[in-house]
Amino acid sequence: MNIENIPDSPMVSRKIRKVFDKMTQWVTPWRSNLESPREMMILRGDVEQDEFQYASSHCLSSYYSVFVVRLAIMVMLAILIGLLTVLTWHFTRIYTKQSLKTLAYGLRYELLQRPVLRMWSVLNTTSELTTAQVKLSEYVIKKYDKPTTQEELVEMYQAMKDVTWALFASAKALNAITINYRNGFVQAFHRDPASSSTFYIFSDLKNYSISGIGPEDVSGWNNQSIHGNMTAIWYQQQLDPVTGEKLGKPLKIPPDDLINIAGILQVPDGEASWHVTVSKYMDSPLLSAALPVFDASNKSIVDVVGVTTALYSVGQLMRDLVDVHGGHIYLTSQEGYLLATSTNGPLLKNTTNGPKLMKAIDSEEWVIRAGAQWLEKTYGSKRPQEVHAENVKLGNQRYYIDSFYLNLKRLPIIGVVIIPRKFIMGKVDERAFKTLIILISASVCIFFIGCVCILILTNGVSKEMKLRAELIRQLDARRRAEASSNYKSQFLANMSHELRTPMAAVIGLLDILISDDCLSNEQYATVTQIRKCSTALLRLLNNILDLSKVESGKLVLEEAEFDLGRELEGLVDMFSVQCINHNVETVLDLSDDMPALVRGDSARLVQIFANLISNSIKFTTTGHIILRGWCENINSLHDEMRLTVDRKKPWAPMKTKLVQHRNHLQKSCKNANKMVLWFEVDDTGCGIESSKWDSVFESFEQADPSTTRTHGGTGLGLCIVRNLVNKMGGEIKVVQKNGLGTLMRLYLILSTPETADQNIQPDFSKYGLVVLLSMYGSTARMITSKWLRKHGIATVEASDWNELTQIIRDLLEMGSRDNSFDSQNNIADSLRAELSNIEEIKNPVFVVVVDIGVLDLTTDIWKEQLNYLDRFSNKAKFAWLLKHDTSNIVKTELRRKGHVMMVNKPLYKAKMIQILEAVIKNRKRCNGLRNRGNGSDESHDFLEIDPTQFDTCSSDDSSETSGEKHIDKSVQPSTLHSPVLKNYLIDANNSNDDSTSASTTQKNLEEEDWKDRLYSGIALDGKNQKSLEGIRILLAEDTPVLQRVATIMLEKMGATVTAVWDGQQAVDSLNYRSINVQDPTGEPTSSEEETANNSINPQSSLRNSSPYDLILMDCQMPKMDGYDATKAIRRAEIGTELHIPIVALTAHAMSSDEAKCLEVGMDAYLTKPIDRKLMVSTILSLTKPSIFQTSLSA
Amino acid sequence: MNTTVVAQLQRQFQDYIVSLYQQGFLDNQFSELRKLQDEGTPDFVAEVVSLFFDDCSKLINTMSASLERPDNVDFKQVDSGVHQLKGSSSSVGAQRVKNVCISFKECCHVQNREGCLRCLQQVDYEYKMLKTKLQDLFNLEQQILQAGGTIPQVDIN
Repeated sequence: MNIENIPDSPMVSRKIRKVFDKMTQWVTPWRSNLESPREMMILRGDVEQDEFQYASSHCLSSYYSVFVVRLAIMVMLAILIGLLTVLTWHFTRIYTKQSLKTLAYGLRYELLQRPVLRMWSVLNTTSELTTAQVKLSEYVIKKYDKPTTQEELVEMYQAMKDVTWALFASAKALNAITINYRNGFVQAFHRDPASSSTFYIFSDLKNYSISGIGPEDVSGWNNQSIHGNMTAIWYQQQLDPVTGEKLGKPLKIPPDDLINIAGILQVPDGEASWHVTVSKYMDSPLLSAALPVFDASNKSIVDVVGVTTALYSVGQLMRDLVDVHGGHIYLTSQEGYLLATSTNGPLLKNTTNGPKLMKAIDSEEWVIRAGAQWLEKTYGSKRPQEVHAENVKLGNQRYYIDSFYLNLKRLPIIGVVIIPRKFIMGKVDERAFKTLIILISASVCIFFIGCVCILILTNGVSKEMKLRAELIRQLDARRRAEASSNYKSQFLANMSHELRTPMAAVIGLLDILISDDCLSNEQYATVTQIRKCSTALLRLLNNILDLSKVESGKLVLEEAEFDLGRELEGLVDMFSVQCINHNVETVLDLSDDMPALVRGDSARLVQIFANLISNSIKFTTTGHIILRGWCENINSLHDEMRLTVDRKKPWAPMKTKLVQHRNHLQKSCKNANKMVLWFEVDDTGCGIESSKWDSVFESFEQADPSTTRTHGGTGLGLCIVRNLVNKMGGEIKVVQKNGLGTLMRLYLILSTPETADQNIQPDFSKYGLVVLLSMYGSTARMITSKWLRKHGIATVEASDWNELTQIIRDLLEMGSRDNSFDSQNNIADSLRAELSNIEEIKNPVFVVVVDIGVLDLTTDIWKEQLNYLDRFSNKAKFAWLLKHDTSNIVKTELRRKGHVMMVNKPLYKAKMIQILEAVIKNRKRCNGLRNRGNGSDESHDFLEIDPTQFDTCSSDDSSETSGEKHIDKSVQPSTLHSPVLKNYLIDANNSNDDSTSASTTQKNLEEEDWKDRLYSGIALDGKNQKSLEGIRILLAEDTPVLQRVATIMLEKMGATVTAVWDGQQAVDSLNYRSINVQDPTGEPTSSEEETANNSINPQSSLRNSSPYDLILMDCQMPKMDGYDATKAIRRAEIGTELHIPIVALTAHAMSSDEAKCLEVGMDAYLTKPIDRKLMVSTILSLTKPSIFQTSLSA
Repeated sequence: MNTTVVAQLQRQFQDYIVSLYQQGFLDNQFSELRKLQDEGTPDFVAEVVSLFFDDCSKLINTMSASLERPDNVDFKQVDSGVHQLKGSSSSVGAQRVKNVCISFKECCHVQNREGCLRCLQQVDYEYKMLKTKLQDLFNLEQQILQAGGTIPQVDIN
């Protein structure tokens, strides 16, 4: 098998190898498949190996079975074809042979019959002639009865001679006729076939007496006398063969020399006799017959007549026959002497005693000898009458040998025919051989073709087998995949712990850092930003964990209050950091009527916009991304409808759908304060083809497949967005946009808290503010200026440094140089009109908002620019928009110059309000101070404090340190105002500002009040610490430490706490109280309902009936755990229309646990260790209506 | 004289508590606890902490009893004990104990008796350590109070 080792024939070896492989594949089709699973097995390692082996062995056995079936079919085919071949060959051959044999037998019989018949006829002829001679002799002798004289005797002999001649002449076939008289006289006619002459032979008459031996003396008349009587003189007279005339003189010959003279010895009993003789002059045996001639009285034999016939005519016939048919024929006497053969070989052998008959076994002819020998050998002396033998091997040829027995009287004859087999069967044998070869080759061909067919046919089966094996493998792989999916979820479960822990650590450390006093403002800002990002990252982690839930629809939306504006602002802040790098403006444009607080799932909402904005950022390289938001009250929808239909035609179908949806909603929760919030995310990116507007929201779908390469992403973002939006009862769509980019529009249905009318808009118009916006980004500038103008604030825009200086000069130096105004020719008319309007404002307060990007930061020119602006600092307030990467040098320089109002980009409504309020307050303060005669430098201090307080409100974590810290102002703006700020404002109002009316103060107080109430959970200082006042809480917790901590914590906040040790006790204590409960009022306990009717207070009756306002339930407890306890409580509640809020306490952090908690009927979920703020807000959100009610009734 | 002593004690107290945080014995939760302590509940922290230590010793005894048996350790029982311990340690802010509890829990999940025993010893050690540390802290507190001073608000953050 080391073919490939041969270096000089790589091609050949490869080919051979290929062929070999192919062969192996044919022979063992399972082998190739066997290898791959084994590899996989190795790759996959030991996981579920046994199972796998089971599968592979299963498919292995199936391969074996295919192979066995194939083999069986082939063997069967082979047997069938072989049988068919053999049968065909056999039958054709056997039948041919049979018929041929029959034919051959007939032929052989016929062949032999002819010479035998000839022989018979020869015998008959001889016998007839003999009989005729006897009768004629009798007649002549009768005529010359008892001759007494010599003359008479001679006369009689003469008569005899004539009669005999007549007979002899008529029978040409005769060899000789002899008459031997009693007295020894012999008369004979003889034909010599060699010289074809005829002779008359007679003895000398003088030796014989007339009256010799009497009739009685037969015994004395023997041959001896004739032959022994040598004294007799014989004469031979040649005769004319036709006429019988004598030719020449008679010659003397020795007696008995020429021919056999039949004597008395041949007829011992007076009957006819036959025998075969030989003659000296003839090379063929002779047949001679003898008959006695009786005298008239029939008493004695007068003479003996002998007739001799040559047998060579029989041989002649045989030769003729053999000439035609081939083979050999011979006749023998019973003793085995040859009588006639079909050959020319001699029949006699010459011995010293003259020629003698030859035996067949001594024949000179080889075939005859061999045949005779075979017969002798096979049958011996007991030869049957007839013998038919085939396939006798003589020499190296095969022969048929047939022998017939012809029983003539006194001369039985045996005829033998020897024919070479090939004369008869030669062609047949040849054909049979050819046929056999053809049959075998044909059947072999058929066999191979059949095998190929079988392989082809069974290939389908084996293919199916392969497919099945594949299927088994696939199933196995699927099982494995499922297992690995399980592992994945396990992994996620573990990872959530592992990821949250370091994240929590990071956030905690950042909190520590934030509360460090030593931090500079910039550091503080950075750290705050880091903290925000970390929180976002944590949120992202949670989102990733929940992603599958969104997809499977198991997501449960939270229902909690949150500040929509603040969330979105945070989001925009976060993304603006990315956008600035991109040269893209991020703009947040929320309408004023947007509710500040909404109920819903803030995390999911943020997720929606985070996905949308990040998507936009991905595809936008220049331009802007605007997040617009406006609001629409559900009740005033119909009024809005007309408006919107006019305004946004393409949106109309969605609207109508929305109306239907809303009607449905209205029915279901009658008085719910639902709001429809519309949002748009507008970018100037590459845009989406209108044909793909629908499909982009599908899973794994991206508008352009190539975006994966350039921008990355999975295409899941928009899908999640749509799912979430739909979940929130809204819809999202891509809509037509003028110009470049994409415009996504969506609406959400969110409920707003009861404390309606939150949209307190500060009224800036009366302060005579003039704002100069000097920003690069035109979109943000435009939107901001529009908003400012709407609120009655005069606004001037400047896009670059030159414009800024020009306008600033015009505005601020106006008073001193009125006449120079005309010289400003290059100022646009509109701007001029604006300027002239501003001119009319009495006692204006100038606010200059400068984007740091307007300054030339690449060189040192910015310092001079700053110096230039510094000239106006006493006339106007400068607010700086910084980028997140603005260098510290610039910041310190700004601060050195006394510019304390610095905010990070992007600028949006809340930040603007913050700036304006700061300016207003500063002004008031200044006025106040001025009244007392103080300098203006204190205002800087104040301003430095000021933004801190904004920050305090927005950042939960620093709330307890509010008011004491001096923190950077640039970070977190907010629409909220901390109590400290408020207090100050009120002080200012009361003490200093004459122009502010009392009503304003009142309003501010109210404002403060609701804000306190709302944010009691967040701002814990002051009276707000008692935020849980009056709430009765049942705490089920088995760990004493936790129980104690939680109890104190809650009591500190004013709650009444009853602690129990396990779930059973919790249920019991509830039941104990419940027993005393009278029939529950039929009043529905829907919390929203209660705000409607203040006169009758259903809450009080409800409160009486329910023992606690809320249950805090640990999940893992002895005796009865939290889940079971909750189930029990919920069971008990069935039919009572009671619903006690149950909050789970658990140390597990997975949202699946949350789902489990919610599943058993809990309302919310808190993780250990207990976060105070989160706990308070949760408790409040669950019990708030009742608290509100309590405070009202109290 | 008294004031200087008080000031010294106060500084000592501050340093000590900061060192506890820095060494990771305590975490934010402990400061939360301290915040909860006021005139109404003057010994709240000490109370909770002693509760915690009682709980600890009880739980550790139970768990060690469970883990004593070399065969058929009832890991479920141990696990619930660890869970409780983790909950209470995180509630008082005993950070080191809590961290050990986390690895303890891992060991429980994989039913690693050796690891459990190791963790148990560690927990025992940690909580005793913490106990002495806190004991010192409370003593210091007492001294300050006796000297007529007030407990300084130490802000770890």
